[in-house]
Amino acid sequence: MEIVVCVKPVPDAETKLRPAPDGRTLDLEGAKFVLAGYDESAVEQALLLKDAVPGSTVRVVSFGPPGRTEEVLRAALALGCDTATLVESPPLAHSADVRSVARALAAAVKKLPHDLVLVGKQSGDSEAGMLPTALAQALGHPGFNGAVELKFDPTQKLFTFGRASEAGLERWECPGPVVLGLQQAGNDPRTAKLQNILKSRRATLDKVSLAELPTLDVAGATAEAFQLPPPRTGAKWIEYKTPEEAATKLVRLLKEEAKVFP
Amino acid sequence: MSRSVLVVGEPRPTGLVPASREAVAAARLAAEGGAVAGVLLGGSPEAVTEFSRGGVTGLWVGSDASYAERRIDRWVPAILAAAKSTESEVIVLASTGFGRELAGALAVAWDAAAATSVTELTPTDEGLFVAMPVLGGRATSKLRLAGPRAVVAIRPNAFGAPAMSGEAAPVESLSAAPPTPTLAGRRVGFEANAASQGPDLSSASIVVAGGRGLRAPENFHLVEELAEALGAAVGASRAVTDAGWKPGTYQVGQTGRSVSPQLYIAVGISGAIQHLVGMMSSRVIVAINSDPGAPIFKIADYGVVGDLFLLLPALTAEVRKARASG
Amino acid sequence: MPDFSLTDDQTSVRDLARKFARTEMAPRAAECDRKSLFPEDIYRKAWELGLMNLNVPTEYGGSGLSLLDQCLIVEELSYGCAGMTTSIIANCLALEPILLGGTPEQKTRFLKPFCASYNLASFGLTEPAGGSDAGALATRATRDGDHYVISGEKCFITNAPNASLFTVFATTDPALRTKGICAFVVPRSTEGVTPGKDEEKMGHRASSTGTVRFDSVRVPVADRLGAEGEGFSIAMRTLDQTRTPIGALANGIAQAAMEHAARYALQRKSFGKPIAEHQAIQIKLANMAQSIHAARLLTWHAAWKIDHGEPATLESSIAKTFASDSAMRVADEAIQVFGGYGYMKEYPVEKLLRDAKLTQIYEGSNEIQRTVIARELLRRYA
Repeated sequence: MEIVVCVKPVPDAETKLRPAPDGRTLDLEGAKFVLAGYDESAVEQALLLKDAVPGSTVRVVSFGPPGRTEEVLRAALALGCDTATLVESPPLAHSADVRSVARALAAAVKKLPHDLVLVGKQSGDSEAGMLPTALAQALGHPGFNGAVELKFDPTQKLFTFGRASEAGLERWECPGPVVLGLQQAGNDPRTAKLQNILKSRRATLDKVSLAELPTLDVAGATAEAFQLPPPRTGAKWIEYKTPEEAATKLVRLLKEEAKVFP
Repeated sequence: MSRSVLVVGEPRPTGLVPASREAVAAARLAAEGGAVAGVLLGGSPEAVTEFSRGGVTGLWVGSDASYAERRIDRWVPAILAAAKSTESEVIVLASTGFGRELAGALAVAWDAAAATSVTELTPTDEGLFVAMPVLGGRATSKLRLAGPRAVVAIRPNAFGAPAMSGEAAPVESLSAAPPTPTLAGRRVGFEANAASQGPDLSSASIVVAGGRGLRAPENFHLVEELAEALGAAVGASRAVTDAGWKPGTYQVGQTGRSVSPQLYIAVGISGAIQHLVGMMSSRVIVAINSDPGAPIFKIADYGVVGDLFLLLPALTAEVRKARASG
Repeated sequence: MPDFSLTDDQTSVRDLARKFARTEMAPRAAECDRKSLFPEDIYRKAWELGLMNLNVPTEYGGSGLSLLDQCLIVEELSYGCAGMTTSIIANCLALEPILLGGTPEQKTRFLKPFCASYNLASFGLTEPAGGSDAGALATRATRDGDHYVISGEKCFITNAPNASLFTVFATTDPALRTKGICAFVVPRSTEGVTPGKDEEKMGHRASSTGTVRFDSVRVPVADRLGAEGEGFSIAMRTLDQTRTPIGALANGIAQAAMEHAARYALQRKSFGKPIAEHQAIQIKLANMAQSIHAARLLTWHAAWKIDHGEPATLESSIAKTFASDSAMRVADEAIQVFGGYGYMKEYPVEKLLRDAKLTQIYEGSNEIQRTVIARELLRRYA
């Protein structure tokens, strides 16, 4: 089976949250970029499928500025992905426009054999959750987001997965090629071994240059402001002598002060 | 400058998803006095009534049962047909799981700028300015969606739904039959959520969530009783779902659901960052915990320190009393 | 002159150790310390990730890292739990004699199967009657045809209760002092090898420590490392390699202590403001930071010299001594910053003091290190 995983470099959890000098985006000066969250699960799921179906190949693709994008591609290689493709992005792109990202990634994915394109359900920073279906649309493949319990039936060559709705869990089956946004992998993401980390540092990355991409309309959605909420000042403590007194006080506050009592 | 806006209603068995009604409010802002049409695919008669009285100027209905499968290759062409008929420049959806799936596909298919989880919307001459929580609700990002077309999925509980009007807007049937699926994939089964009597966790306006502080699965009913009294959805911390007290669908946090209700009550949850990023954008947070040093209190608006086995029954009784007396 | 900015390789290797220390080791550190537990699942995972046999070349199944890279890893691990780190890096110490004194055939025979799965080894030099005076060891090796017969007792041996392989030092003739010492590789399964029980220790309680008794243990001549009488040199050269990482281990403890103290100082209030705003506390924190920075640079410099094949007995002794004394001081001051809370077991800093103490004692006490430093120094002016 030919699997492509698309991942996005996101600033790690220790990145200090503050606006960049222009006030438009998160200040990424000095930030460390990592493979994280749903993307990490997508890579894990791809590797689980590779383990389950002998002869499979997992290719990882990422779109973004070179330095940080290389980091996540190497992290994915260290985990066991077979090849990595860096899709160059325009130097000033905020890549807030999902069309641009989807089209750039689609251009790279089209060059690779693929039965399954796996993406995290949403990125760890902007959390928009649109890319899986946008990418599917750009590729002309069926696409679903929020997939769980993904399996591959090798005899029928069918992917089976759950897709959550408000009322329950839909069961779907789909032959490849298909794009899936993954809610959860079959197990916790593995940790790369030291030797594989060192090997991944020396691996050659494939590149798709700007010249090979369709014109990207970066003006469509642009970042205008990045704001932090006023710091929460800590809880207002409810003082009480009996549980009943605590309950009465809390209900009154929710009603009269916070005005959220139903 | 006014513009036509199309609202995509998301049906559920008992009518419309609440955020679809709220989407009408956002659409009215975006329209600046222009027409706000609705499109409803595969909804029940109750949904048609609710939507047509919910503040739209017109409603397009595709009543074929096949829409219930929620196939993107059926929905997107139907939505685009409605957008074309209404000459809409903006499409507004509810930022539910399915709403985001549609938004992504529409962005490419309709060649539009798009945003999800939108909590604020301001039309300007330079485009729609929208705000949404990012980084687990720890920050807000503002984007400008430059024309000519924009897709906006709005976060549940961010916009107040318009009052129901006594008079229904004109309802028209989408002329064409539902588009034939062009892509592979088959829905082969459905497992209804077990006894989903409460509201949906992702879009509920009140959530009561329980954590390890409850000590044992048999104590979880204390949380469920409070939720029932409040008409709230029930959530849980990862410790609870990992231990198997509750299924994974209850989990609030980084690897579970993100929620942003009006009121979030955290019971016996210490407040690991994993959990906090899934609920920090809630409007009002109440924490009930035996440990005054628990990190949850740093982000809570109201804190009650004490024995939750005594506090919860008292609170449930008080809530019942307060609601009964109006 | 090395510039000490880490390469991308070094950063990624360090990050692996950092993540492992913070997600796997640190959350279990307090419990293992309190109950003196030996968390074998963590050690197994460390082996799986390649964080265990750091000094063994990759051709024999180890990680094949430079000493500087080893130091980066050891500091990170020790930040998570010094005791666990002692057990994780005990293999480096125990296997180094094979790397230094073994023939290619011995390396293949011993290291390959050992490193191919999770295994622990112990370094057996110290004896009940003598530590620093290694020349005076009493364990006897008597030649008997193509075997030696080893009898004696080793003590304070890290991982001994759990090890499957021992490197053992024994003398063929005590009268020859250091010249009579031989090094041997002895599998635990050999008849007459009896590891004792795990000792109750002050710190490093997640590590196991015990005696090993050798009762007429027959060891093939083929399992002797180096020539007869070369054992002392092998032991000393081994310690020359492993002394520096002990400095790194001490630095990890000190770093943890300083971070705990800084965070606590920002949050704890007295006289109406966080204690971090009181100059008395600021001076403590500044001294901690200086001490850690100096110790880290000394450690890296010693490792760098060894990696470049330069003699570094002086530098490695200085690094180990300075870093371990620094860790004691920093942990002590961290407790002082915490005040009464620091003395309580519920808070993490008292463990750091107990853990730091061992770094002044093991792998060559700070007294013997100072003897070495003075000898190296005086030789220059003699």
